[in-house]
Amino acid sequence: MNFRDVKLLSAYLDGQLNPSDSARLELRLKTDLELAAVIDDLRAARGLLRQLPSRRAPRNFTLTPKMVGVKPPLPRAYPIFRFASAFAALLFFLSYAVNFAAPRLTSASAPVYGYGSGGGPAASQELLAATEAPVATEAPALAITEVPTATESLALAPAPTQMAITPTEIPMTAQDGARDVETPSAKSAEPESTNGTQPEVQKEAPVSYVWLTGLAVVAILSALIAYLLRLSAIRKWRRRVD
Amino acid sequence: MNEPALIQDAQHGDLDAFNTLVLHYQDMVFNVALRILGDDDLAADAAQEAFISAFRNINSFRGGSFKAWLMRTVTNACYDELRRQKRRPTTPLEPDTNDGEEMDSPRWLADPNLSPEQEAEADELEHAIQHCLENLPTDFRVVVVMADIQGLDYNEVAIAARVPLGTIKSRLARARLRLRECLRGFEELLPVSFRLEERQSV
Repeated sequence: MNFRDVKLLSAYLDGQLNPSDSARLELRLKTDLELAAVIDDLRAARGLLRQLPSRRAPRNFTLTPKMVGVKPPLPRAYPIFRFASAFAALLFFLSYAVNFAAPRLTSASAPVYGYGSGGGPAASQELLAATEAPVATEAPALAITEVPTATESLALAPAPTQMAITPTEIPMTAQDGARDVETPSAKSAEPESTNGTQPEVQKEAPVSYVWLTGLAVVAILSALIAYLLRLSAIRKWRRRVD
Repeated sequence: MNEPALIQDAQHGDLDAFNTLVLHYQDMVFNVALRILGDDDLAADAAQEAFISAFRNINSFRGGSFKAWLMRTVTNACYDELRRQKRRPTTPLEPDTNDGEEMDSPRWLADPNLSPEQEAEADELEHAIQHCLENLPTDFRVVVVMADIQGLDYNEVAIAARVPLGTIKSRLARARLRLRECLRGFEELLPVSFRLEERQSV
């Protein structure tokens, strides 16, 4: 008798043999005493295991939300406030970055326009325009009031510092478009006439501080509301679970 | 109990539905863990772990026998516990020989020199069987617990143990032979119908 026979006997006990194998084994069992002894052993072992008493569980194994890490249901408004807070914060930092970087970029490009030390045709044109500046310096107010179009005001771009004040005095004579153009032209002229001192206009931020403050307020308020909503939901859930 | 509906609800995150299944199967799960691990507290911990794991992974159940799937979960929890025990070994119950080697035979439990308390404990058939079960290799023990103690069919045992049907047959035959051999040491504890010598003399 080998282990294959033991396997057959074990399967036979569980009714896992096909009819022909069962019939063949039953014939052998009638004549083979060793085989019969083994099947008795297997049957005895199986019978003992089957009569083992079944124990009751010492406690209930039911699960609580805490045990399985179920999160409390959050209000529907929670993600809206959370997103609003994150978005406002992002916009705030972007705007702040723009405000921070803009004056530096302008000042970095200033030497090209202001001092004309660089080569190239563009620079020589600027230099040429700058040479006309003294004319405007002599009669700045007149030059501006006589400007009928935006293109002419551009030609007078390298105007002296005083020009920055004059546009406020001329809205009655100059066209609206001309006034809009005058400001940047005046800005570009500043460094030439003031010999390197930073003008007031350049310090003005591209993004207004009102906008920045608004974004900061929205970000903080949204975060606060989201936090309170979450806190309240968790407290309610804990009261229910405990 | 509408098991398929409860499973479906549990798969949608309904903890109450899952807990109904827990209440139905908790005795079986605990008994399997107890027979594999041989310790009430460890078995209770393994059963709890098994149910937690089952809930977390219930979406991986794709039909078939839920009982077999659950048995696989508890078997895994028991294997984890046994691995933990291996990492933190405890003093073995088996006594040493004079040479300091562990005795292979479980017959020491039937030693007449045992204390009354130990003798009383050894008198219990359940303890003897449990002792023999614990002497089996874990893979054999798992199969025999599922098939002979819990009454799962071969296919369910194959699913629970994640081994082919042929391996189940082979492990079961070996496990039964070894158990019978081990239980010879407790002949006097066995019911008359299970005593080999008496059967042979009759």
